[in-house]
Amino acid sequence: EWKETDPSQIGEKKTLYGLCRHCMQGDCATLVHMEDGVVVKVEGRDDVPPNYGSLCPRGNSAIMSLYNPYRVKVPMVRTNPQKGLDVDPRWKEVSWDEALNIVAKELKKVRDEDPRGLVICEGWGERDTILRIPFRVAYGTPNEIGSHGPLCTVHYATGLIHGNFPVSIVDLEYCEYHITLGRSLGPNFATTGGTRKLTKALERGMKLICIDPRCSYEASKGEWIPVRPGTDYAFLLAMAHTMFYEIQTYDREFLINRTNSCYLIGSDGNYKRDEKLNKPLIWDFNTGSAVPFDTEGASPALEGSYPYHNEILHTAFTLVRDGFITYTPEWAESICTIPAETIRRIAHDFVSHARIGSTIEVDGFVFPFRPVSLNTERNVTNHKGGTYGDLTGKIINMLVGNIEVPGGCLGSGYRGALAIEPGDDGTMKPGYEAVPKEFHYPPDHIGLEEFFPNCHTTPHLAVNAILEPEKYYIDYEVKAWFSVGGNPIRMNAEPEKYVKAFQKIPFSVSIAYHMDEPAIMADVLLPEHSFLERLRVAPFYPQHQSISNEVSGLQMIQMRQPVPTLFNTMHVDDIFMELAERIGILYGEDGLNDCINHGEDWIIKDHGLNLKDPYKLDLNTRYTLTELFDRQIRSWKFGDGTGFEELNKAGYKAYWQPKKNFYLYYYYPGNQTKHEFYFQHLKNTGDTLKKNLRANGITFPGVQDENEIFDLYKPIPYWVKNSESNAPSEYDLWAINWKTPYFSSDVGNVVGNPWLAELYKADPFEAVICINTETAKKKALKDGDPVTVSSRYGSIDGIVRTSELFHPDTLGISGGYGGGNKHGNPLNRKGPNFNALISTEIHTLDPVSAGQEMAPKVKIVKRKGKKQ
Amino acid sequence: MRYGMLIDLRKCVGCNACTIACRGQNGTPAGINFNKTKKYETGKYPSSKMKYLPMPCMHCKNPPCMKVCPAGATEKHENGIVTADSDKCIGCRACIIACPYEARQFIWQVNQYYENQNPTPFENKKYRKFEKGTVVKCIFCIDRVAEGLPPACVHTCLSGARVFGDLEDPNSEISKLISMHGALPFRAELGTEPSVYYING
Repeated sequence: EWKETDPSQIGEKKTLYGLCRHCMQGDCATLVHMEDGVVVKVEGRDDVPPNYGSLCPRGNSAIMSLYNPYRVKVPMVRTNPQKGLDVDPRWKEVSWDEALNIVAKELKKVRDEDPRGLVICEGWGERDTILRIPFRVAYGTPNEIGSHGPLCTVHYATGLIHGNFPVSIVDLEYCEYHITLGRSLGPNFATTGGTRKLTKALERGMKLICIDPRCSYEASKGEWIPVRPGTDYAFLLAMAHTMFYEIQTYDREFLINRTNSCYLIGSDGNYKRDEKLNKPLIWDFNTGSAVPFDTEGASPALEGSYPYHNEILHTAFTLVRDGFITYTPEWAESICTIPAETIRRIAHDFVSHARIGSTIEVDGFVFPFRPVSLNTERNVTNHKGGTYGDLTGKIINMLVGNIEVPGGCLGSGYRGALAIEPGDDGTMKPGYEAVPKEFHYPPDHIGLEEFFPNCHTTPHLAVNAILEPEKYYIDYEVKAWFSVGGNPIRMNAEPEKYVKAFQKIPFSVSIAYHMDEPAIMADVLLPEHSFLERLRVAPFYPQHQSISNEVSGLQMIQMRQPVPTLFNTMHVDDIFMELAERIGILYGEDGLNDCINHGEDWIIKDHGLNLKDPYKLDLNTRYTLTELFDRQIRSWKFGDGTGFEELNKAGYKAYWQPKKNFYLYYYYPGNQTKHEFYFQHLKNTGDTLKKNLRANGITFPGVQDENEIFDLYKPIPYWVKNSESNAPSEYDLWAINWKTPYFSSDVGNVVGNPWLAELYKADPFEAVICINTETAKKKALKDGDPVTVSSRYGSIDGIVRTSELFHPDTLGISGGYGGGNKHGNPLNRKGPNFNALISTEIHTLDPVSAGQEMAPKVKIVKRKGKKQ
Repeated sequence: MRYGMLIDLRKCVGCNACTIACRGQNGTPAGINFNKTKKYETGKYPSSKMKYLPMPCMHCKNPPCMKVCPAGATEKHENGIVTADSDKCIGCRACIIACPYEARQFIWQVNQYYENQNPTPFENKKYRKFEKGTVVKCIFCIDRVAEGLPPACVHTCLSGARVFGDLEDPNSEISKLISMHGALPFRAELGTEPSVYYING
């Protein structure tokens, strides 16, 4: 039953400022129209960036996520000690006071014993909280696990080369030739900004090359180059080979001035250093000798081998180039099936469109102009060797000098000097996940981050460590699990394994919007608002798909005015505040307030909503969420000193920086900073990891041969076969997965939204098993046939859909369907769950990013049942 | 004055934002779509492409649906917009057969979106104007248009594939684009004179 409308609202019409949260970007400005207390329309807000009035299907469907009968509506506790996806927890309704006291008592007990015993699992289900991280820090556990991450480990190379997070993107304002692999520019999952910008770029004539096993929405708008799944890396190696050995037109100025290409490398694979100054050496033609890299007036050698103290030293460039000698287009064709002449053509077109040597003036500042970019993401990176694939993409871009200049390849995060600031060796300091995490032994982190110092999130490793701690040298037990938007059962691999972990953990609590898997496994449910009911103030993050002048230079904060709540729910951050107070971690030094005072935005650093004096919190006062936001707004670097009240009137505050500030080249032009062309930092991390293991007398856990790990820390990428290359021949197809306009990381449980469900049920490519028409014919499969698809890690059922839009070796499963539980929304149970085909085993991962293999080899077998 | 719509299929990415924006605006019951988007493929691998065809009501200048209506429920307004009046509709469905564009739907039952659940407050409010046993169709968001706003599908479109305006004004954006690109209506040979034009893509 729905709550009666408040009589005072009858006859009232009002419009609230909204901020969408139906995708991971979550930045579209909306208007939420209400009549008689009912939300009657959500639409894009005209003239306001980044969506300028437009709004995607998910954003338009927000009403039905508010009015969702499958929401968790009151606090509840389990009375049935048995836990399982289809076991009735026999919920008992309790008051908020009771629920919060139970949770606080349990969490306090765990904290008193060993705070590491608490795991906080975050994910796309809840991305509006500002207190989750300060709460975790105040509590004192290192164990925050993102349930969503390891299926999309796309961050290392961008952290290393751009000092940015999460990814690097194309500058669609100027780009003339763009190659995209394993990712989306926007249309594939209908992001407003990305789709707008791509449409404009194509209209002005940009050439688009989509390398993909599937002819996607955007591949249909450009040139589709079908590739065998999981083999993009072979294409990249061959493209680099063609540039190194056949084209040989490089941006020499960029390589010499802005990379470590000229650094001389010793026989140990490290920079050869000046004995006195400890600086990396280069070969100087002027003096005919090796000199420190920053010697003024030196004339550096890019290529070649030079004598030094009875040794012959090679330049980094020469070593990297030598590394690519065997990767001919013919070699790659045999692996990735892209014809050798196509690889050559793309490489040539890329170099010729790069306009090497040209410049462009932006706001009076002269930049190199390189209107080409090659960008890779999860379907390139999520294989063993995937980090090398991403890094090879960087080598390709660096050869034409398009890093962080107009038209080229740009980081999608922090746009300031800090990102590319040079360190002692002249090369920029790595950022974000390219900064290795600290080693401790025994390991502190339940997700085994000590063994994967450059990892993204690691729920797949945590599940192994929870079930078998001693195997991974973990010396404590997980006693409590706290779900805050994370759902490792549905959004990660081997669901039954995670169910076992939930059964093993003594206490579990979920801040729950709907009855998802972690909710049904929980001991206590703390019901939270749907996103339209959540007050939010957020900074604008540069966009993940692409960039153009529509938003480059934009610094903005936005507000979401909440609609009245429907049920007995609480704001997620009010829940954290209540729990912190009840556990006793709100006040004083190192308390929640103190942690908020010291927090900094992970992505945009000092551009974010960080507190500064005089707006820092008093350590012994409890603040409301509005008061917190007010202080954040007043502290904002680009603000005008006003606070919550002013923002509440306008819904957003925008400050436009000059466009030149958007390109990182601007901050350290010329030869003032260098990107790694030879990946010395990667090698250092591997060497340090090995040393740490030896120092503690242990070997790398979970693998038979350690070299499988350390071989992936070499400073020059080389061909690595992924985990699927040795699958028995009966597994003759590769399964692939992609986001769709109706599904983008299941933010706000869009799969359970019936407006979207009506569309995906009618869509020929959704919630089915797609295979190439010819392949289907060979297997005697027809449209509508019920089938079972099995990898070596799991198996799922589905219905066949034949199509000409797929590479013949591909088995395609879209979105994030399937899974669910019988107490939740039945829409969440429909369709095949791709994630059940992938693995959590360490030997299948990319050892650098800990990314999971996203193209498992599979077999498809017709199953008994009615044709559909 | 004759309102029309131009849909640029080169720009359309088949995302269906239009379909859902229409749902939010018009509050249509489950199964009723004023805007349809057909997704299909053309060509053989590897030269195949994914294609999309969004289809609102064509708001024909010469609407066959109107001619066959025995109850006078279908009306062509002065601004060219064609509407169906559920108060007058007798549910004979002759118009559904007459329309060559499958633009009309019959409401067999006013169904809510969450099956086996009570209708949501949104649905309770919006479904009042839908009557079981009547025929409904896209109305070019006639109330929005009266306020000077574009239809919801045009407003929401991510790629700017839809343009709305006066076909009779040669200087309107829509008229200029139609003539510049040689845009054509769907099945012009039928003589219905649709007000919706397409740029092929």
